[in-house]
Amino acid sequence: MKITPIIGIEVHVELKTKSKMFCGCSADHFHVEANIHTCPVCLGLPGALPVPNKVACQWCVKLGLSLGCSINEESFFERKNYFYPDLAKGYQITQLQKPFAINGRLNIDGHNIRINRAHMEEDTGKSVHVDGSTLLDFNRSGVPLVEIVSEPDLISAEEAKKYLNKLQQIIRYIGISDADIEKGSMRCEPTVNVCIDDQFYTPLAEIKNVASLTGVMNAINYEIKRQVDEYQSNKITKNSTNKTTRGWDADKNQTFLQREKEGSADYRYFPEPDIPPITFTKEQIEEIRQTIPKLPDEKIAEYKLLGLSDYDASQLADTKEFAEIFEKIISLDQSPEFAKFSANLLIGPLKIIEIDINKINPDHFKELFDKKSELSSTAIKQLILDSYQSGQDPLVLAKEQNLFQVSDTGALEAFAKEVIEANPKAVEDYRKNPLAIGFLVGQLMKISKGSANPQTGKEILEKLLK
Amino acid sequence: MTDLNKLTLKEAREGLKTKKFTPVDLVQSCLDRIKLLDVKLNSFVTVISEEALKQAKTVDINLPLGGIPLAVKDNYLTKDILTTASSKLLDNYIAQYDATTIKKLKNAGAIIIGKTNLDAWAHGSSTETSDYGPTLNPWNLNHLPGGSSGGSAAAIAADETIISVGSETAGSIRQPAAWCGVVGFKPTYGRVSRYGIIAMKSSTDSPGPICKTVDDAATLLEIMSGHDPRDATSINEDTWKKPEIRQNLNGLKIGLPLSYFSPQTQPEVKEAILKAVDILKKLGAQILELPDVLDPKYSIAVYTILQRSEVSSNLARFDGIRYGHDRSYFGTEAKRRIMLGTYSLSAGYYDAYYLKAQKVRTLICQDFDKQFQKVDAIIGPVSPTTALKVGASEGQAMFGELQDMLVEPSSIAGLPGISIPCAFDKTGLPIGLQIMAPQKREDLVYQIAKLFEDNTDYHLQRPNL
Repeated sequence: MKITPIIGIEVHVELKTKSKMFCGCSADHFHVEANIHTCPVCLGLPGALPVPNKVACQWCVKLGLSLGCSINEESFFERKNYFYPDLAKGYQITQLQKPFAINGRLNIDGHNIRINRAHMEEDTGKSVHVDGSTLLDFNRSGVPLVEIVSEPDLISAEEAKKYLNKLQQIIRYIGISDADIEKGSMRCEPTVNVCIDDQFYTPLAEIKNVASLTGVMNAINYEIKRQVDEYQSNKITKNSTNKTTRGWDADKNQTFLQREKEGSADYRYFPEPDIPPITFTKEQIEEIRQTIPKLPDEKIAEYKLLGLSDYDASQLADTKEFAEIFEKIISLDQSPEFAKFSANLLIGPLKIIEIDINKINPDHFKELFDKKSELSSTAIKQLILDSYQSGQDPLVLAKEQNLFQVSDTGALEAFAKEVIEANPKAVEDYRKNPLAIGFLVGQLMKISKGSANPQTGKEILEKLLK
Repeated sequence: MTDLNKLTLKEAREGLKTKKFTPVDLVQSCLDRIKLLDVKLNSFVTVISEEALKQAKTVDINLPLGGIPLAVKDNYLTKDILTTASSKLLDNYIAQYDATTIKKLKNAGAIIIGKTNLDAWAHGSSTETSDYGPTLNPWNLNHLPGGSSGGSAAAIAADETIISVGSETAGSIRQPAAWCGVVGFKPTYGRVSRYGIIAMKSSTDSPGPICKTVDDAATLLEIMSGHDPRDATSINEDTWKKPEIRQNLNGLKIGLPLSYFSPQTQPEVKEAILKAVDILKKLGAQILELPDVLDPKYSIAVYTILQRSEVSSNLARFDGIRYGHDRSYFGTEAKRRIMLGTYSLSAGYYDAYYLKAQKVRTLICQDFDKQFQKVDAIIGPVSPTTALKVGASEGQAMFGELQDMLVEPSSIAGLPGISIPCAFDKTGLPIGLQIMAPQKREDLVYQIAKLFEDNTDYHLQRPNL
């Protein structure tokens, strides 16, 4: 049996604008006392009217452009009508017919994932269930949300994860959201079904409540298996009314049925009469485009031109801040050697959690690079970390700690003679097998307390043993 | 000092400034009148005596409306005051904030003496569908005041207040003004902020004044108008200012749409309008018959679909969680509109109803554009009939639409318009003349209405109560 998973993902991202989507309330709702960031508009009081947040609309366009979307010069908001206790107005203001951004793509390892749309909407309030009753908190009501809808182009849980990682990376690069899945500022809802033997399609299942990237992967994998099993037992295939919504139970590591017949939901969309249509002129779109920084793909390509490996380049481009400090460092010396040298340090000793990019001093890299022949690679790694932590000049630290390697032949000869005398067995080995020189060099490094230049030390040993 | 309540805004202002009487005298006089009459008329849902008198003691009479009693339609949110939209669903809803217009009127020194009755949720043209009982027409208590701003219009006609505000979605200012023989000024859509007024049909809701004279109404409109950053549909212009008063109407072309005189139009109404035409001619206007104005019947259909659709969504927030009562407290009319609107927005019907209605709306707007290339303003009857009898709306699901058919087209197109008294029928019920102009041309509406009023005395007549 041939199994081809078909996966599309809806991603909701909360924008980190100062104020909410349609009123002046603070958009901050994480660990905030309930219902303090509210006003008539986000509480949906009678008579209150929404006024769209310009910055949020621009950011949605910015994200659209970053995902290669076309921007609708004329778009408008619509009402999506449904009842839910935490939906204050009885409708959500969103975009259906004319979203800000359409027809984008995201490239995952050479596979183009088409993006149907990136549209602007508002978040709902939050229902908090306590002791059998439900409390409502409207701090989140009206927080700007961008919904990014992919086409069902993803073919595995692994690819879905990469897609989400990359999306998250771009969102953070352009600075419009923390895109933190655990905190709920990025929410992912995969829709999964399976094509069996290139001809049978299992019913669609949309998965909700996935709160981590691993969760997304596990949920998709679980769902693929569940659908294949179910198909084998009942042979039911997809039709226009048998889409279901399933929840993800991370503890049990399985999905469970939430709602059936999703196809029949009718939200009675119609154009929001309280908000006039919104236009973005070509010039305005261009202005927004100018605010987009170089994105990871572009940076990775540039770094590879410096001779860095795929892995190194993508590590450096991981976050905008990291990439920026790397670029600042290599602006001090254009040579590929320096780029490689700096890259090794950044993704080696300095790739630590909670790194404070502002504490990294590019000059330290250059100083160490210029003295690299006099310092062991271990010492260099230690020095870059110490100078990051203390802010002190690494060369001063090297001197204090006696880390400069001795290349003075006189001093090294003395060490070498001592080593030869103390290790007659090893000398004998060397005479049989020249590769055994390694042990003697090691001994030399040891008695010199690491200060010897290993290359010079080796040469002197070989000369003395000739 | 007696009968201060009968003063116009202009007269009251002069009296206050020259210290002939105080704001307390003026407010008290209106409150006395309400006490005397409102048992019969039922213009008010809520009367605010104590607080009004308290404010009257300290108000600065130099403000544009300093010390002037104001009656507010009960769909305007008024902070700390019961705001019901004449629905039992909101029978204990104290507004947490002031509508933008209320803020402006308060800042101008107006003193709110009460909240006036309306058709529940402003759904109607009779004020008969109010959950607090119908308001009666001061000219004849067996008749309706019209609606939905029936309470405000009746309160003005009965001199229970000096000024009042109402709101129009399709006739709700002009039609009750016509039936009650007062002046109702409906501004261009977006001229006056909708923020804080319980939404009915958001895309045409237009708050405006209902007063005793054209000048009073214009003064109120000046204060109410102006861009509101809280209303995204509000016109991005500063406050509207009254233009110069014209000496005559020379050079002005006024259109008379023949389609506004249907067979249902009462002959007396038709006669009254033709008499008004003569007056306007004498004042120098050139009257042009407009033979090809779209039949208003199309507007009824468009309005009915769009209004029900928006209502079904606008009333969703009263979901039984936040306002004390559940949705069973909606009256029959609201339920009927919610159901029809839900239907017309549903998948499979949206294109046939809502979308089609929007397309026809565009045609209606284009038709007005076309007519306004030929004429500067358009006049016509406000309503095909004078005030109908109490009970007339019962069981008539389309009552409002038929009474409002002559004001619906201009509402749908967002045009400014006014209703001024222009005659009385045999039984003594008032007849209204409406004057419409292109968007943002309140100046023309005002100039024509003002000159008409200055040359007639219908506005000076008061019911015998």
